[in-house]
Amino acid sequence: MAPATQYELSPPPGDAVSAIAFAPISGTKLLVSSWDNKVYHYDLTNGPEASSLVTTYEHRAPVLDVCFGADDNEAFTAGMDWTVNRLNLETGELTALSKHTAPVRRVVYSKSCGILVSASWDSTLNLHNLNDPSSTPITIALPGKPQALAGSPSKIVVAMTGRIINIYDVQAIVELFQTGGTDLKPWQQRESSLRYLTRAVSCMPNDAGYATSSIEGRVAVEWFEDTAESQARKYAFKCHRQAAPDGDGDIVYPVNALAFHSAHGTFASGGGDGTVALWDAEAKRRLKQYQKFPNNVAALAFSNDGKYLAVGVCPGFETGQNDYNGAGQTSVFIRELGENEAKGKGAK
Amino acid sequence: MGKKKRGHPDVEEILSRPWCYYCERDFEDLKLLISHQKAKHFKCDRCGRRLNTAGGLSVHLNQVHKETLSQVENALPNRQGLEVEIFGMEGIPQEVLEQHRNRIIQNFYQAQEDRRIATGNPPPGQSKNPRKKIKIETAEELLKRFAEYRAQRKAVAANGGVMEGVVQTSTSFPQQGFNQPGFPGQQPHGQAPYNFSTDSLPARPSANLAGAPGLPQRPTQPGFWNGSAQAAASGDEIDQLIRMAEAGVKPQKKPEEGDEAGEGKSKKEKDKKGRMIYDDAEFSPEEKMAALSRYAYTPPVGA
Repeated sequence: MAPATQYELSPPPGDAVSAIAFAPISGTKLLVSSWDNKVYHYDLTNGPEASSLVTTYEHRAPVLDVCFGADDNEAFTAGMDWTVNRLNLETGELTALSKHTAPVRRVVYSKSCGILVSASWDSTLNLHNLNDPSSTPITIALPGKPQALAGSPSKIVVAMTGRIINIYDVQAIVELFQTGGTDLKPWQQRESSLRYLTRAVSCMPNDAGYATSSIEGRVAVEWFEDTAESQARKYAFKCHRQAAPDGDGDIVYPVNALAFHSAHGTFASGGGDGTVALWDAEAKRRLKQYQKFPNNVAALAFSNDGKYLAVGVCPGFETGQNDYNGAGQTSVFIRELGENEAKGKGAK
Repeated sequence: MGKKKRGHPDVEEILSRPWCYYCERDFEDLKLLISHQKAKHFKCDRCGRRLNTAGGLSVHLNQVHKETLSQVENALPNRQGLEVEIFGMEGIPQEVLEQHRNRIIQNFYQAQEDRRIATGNPPPGQSKNPRKKIKIETAEELLKRFAEYRAQRKAVAANGGVMEGVVQTSTSFPQQGFNQPGFPGQQPHGQAPYNFSTDSLPARPSANLAGAPGLPQRPTQPGFWNGSAQAAASGDEIDQLIRMAEAGVKPQKKPEEGDEAGEGKSKKEKDKKGRMIYDDAEFSPEEKMAALSRYAYTPPVGA
C-alpha cells in the first residue's frame, strides 16, 4: 500500500512515458507524452480516488516530448514523425510548426521571448519565433546528435553525443529572428563533465546553472557564469547504483530524468533503478531518496508551485534488448510534497 | 604491530559493534546507532520529527498527519516491515542476529584471506611456530629438489655455476631483509639463509638473473621483477612453497596457483568498474526503441 501522499494516476498511459510537463499556471494540470502515439492530459484536482484523465490527444507516431507554451491551453509536442506540433488543449487541434529530417527528441519553450526550440536526431535545432506566426523556423546545425535539451530564462542548453554541450543565449536567438540570419553561434561550447552519454539536462530556475546526467549513474552540476570561481564550483557525483546481488561491484543504472524544483532550487533525479532522489545542488547533499518504484523512472516533473512531483515509470531499456513493450507496466505516480520536503537544509 | 591491528580489528571487535537492523550499518556505540535510526528510519517526512521507533512513527503519522505508515524508510528491501519493534539493538529477531553474525564472520575471514593474498603477509596474531617448522623441513627438501631440478633443466654446466653464485650472493641479502620490521616469522638468524633460498630458488629459472639483487629484500613483491604468471600471481612465495612442499609437487602446481590469483585480480578490476545497465556511447535508449518496428513511423512520400 502506497502512502496517502503518493498515488498512481488512473488510467495510466498505454505505453512507455517519454516526458511529463506541468502547466505554467495551474498547479494540478499536467501532460504526459507516451510511445503509444498519445499525449495524456491529467488533472489532479479530483485526488487519488477518481480518474484524473481529462483527455488524450492522438498523434501519428510515438510522442517523444511535450512542453507547455505561453498559457495552460497551449502545448508543443515532438515525435517520431519528425514533426514539431502546436497542440491546442481546448480544441485538441494539432498544427505542424516545422519538420526535421529525423525524429524530434526534445522541445523546449522559452517563455520570456516566445521562442520554441526543437532538437532532432538529424543533429539540428529548429528555432521557432512564436511572436510572429508567419515566420519560417530557422534551422541551426549542431556539432553532434542532441540527447537532451533544457531551457532557463536566458539560456538554452543542448547536450549531444560525444560529450558536447552547447549553451545558446536566448537573446541571441531573438536577435537572429530580427536580423533574419541563419547562423547562430553558441554562447558557449563545453565538454560534458560526464564521460558517458548524456541522458538528461535541467536548468536551475534561478538561471545560475544546470545539471546533467548520464547513462552511467552520475549527475553533474555546473554553473553558467564563465569565471574561474564559478567553474571551480562544478562537481559530479555517483548515484542510482546498486550493489550487485553476487556482491561483485555495482550495477550502474542510467539517470533518465532530472527536474529542478521551482521554489527551492533543489532537484530530483530519476534512474533506471526505479528510485527518485532529491538533491540540494548548493549544499551538495542528498535530501531524500524515495521508496523504489516498480520500474525504471523515465520522466520527472515538478508542478509549477512545487506542490507535486510527477514520476513517469515504465520498463527500462537495457543493453542488448531487442524488443520493448511498456504496455501494462507503465504508470505515472504523483507525489504530494510536504511543505519542506524539497527544501534544502542549507550548507553545513 | 599495534598500529597494524587498529587497521584490521579482530573479529570479536567487529561483532561487538552495535548495528542497525534496517540497513545493516554498524556503529561505534549504541548512542550513535539510536540517533542514526531516529534520523534515517524513524523520521517523519512531513514534519521532520524524529521518533524512537517505527511504531512510534506510525502512531505519529496517524494522529498528526492522518496518514498511514506502510514501511520503514531507507531500509533494506527485506527489512522494511513494521511488524518488528526495533530500538537500537533491542528487538532484533534471533535468526536475524545469527544471520548478521555469520555474515560478519564470513566477511571477516574473506577479507583476511583477500588481504593475505594481496599482501603476502600472514594474518595478524597467528602463531609463527607452525609455519617455521614447516619451513625448516621444506628448506632441506627443497634444496635437494632444487639440485634435481637444476640437473633436469639446466643441462648447461656454466649456467649452473652462475646459479650457485646467485644463491650465495642472495644469502647475504636476506639478513637485511629479515631484519626489516614488519616481516614476521623470522627468529633464529641461522635459518634465515635457508628460508631465503627457498624463496628465490624455485622461481629462479624463469626469472631474469639481473633481477636477483632486488628480489631478496622484498620477497613479498614478486610481481615487480617477473612478468611470468607463476611468480607474479603467487603473491606469497613462501606460502606457495610450503604448499608445494606439502603436496610434494614441483612446478606444475604453479600455473594453477597463477590462475587462481589471476581470477582474483580480474575480479578486483570489475569491482571498480561496476556493470552498466545501458552502455551505448552513441545511441540513447530512445533511439534503440525508435528502431523497433513497433514504434516505426514511415514518413509520407514527398514529405
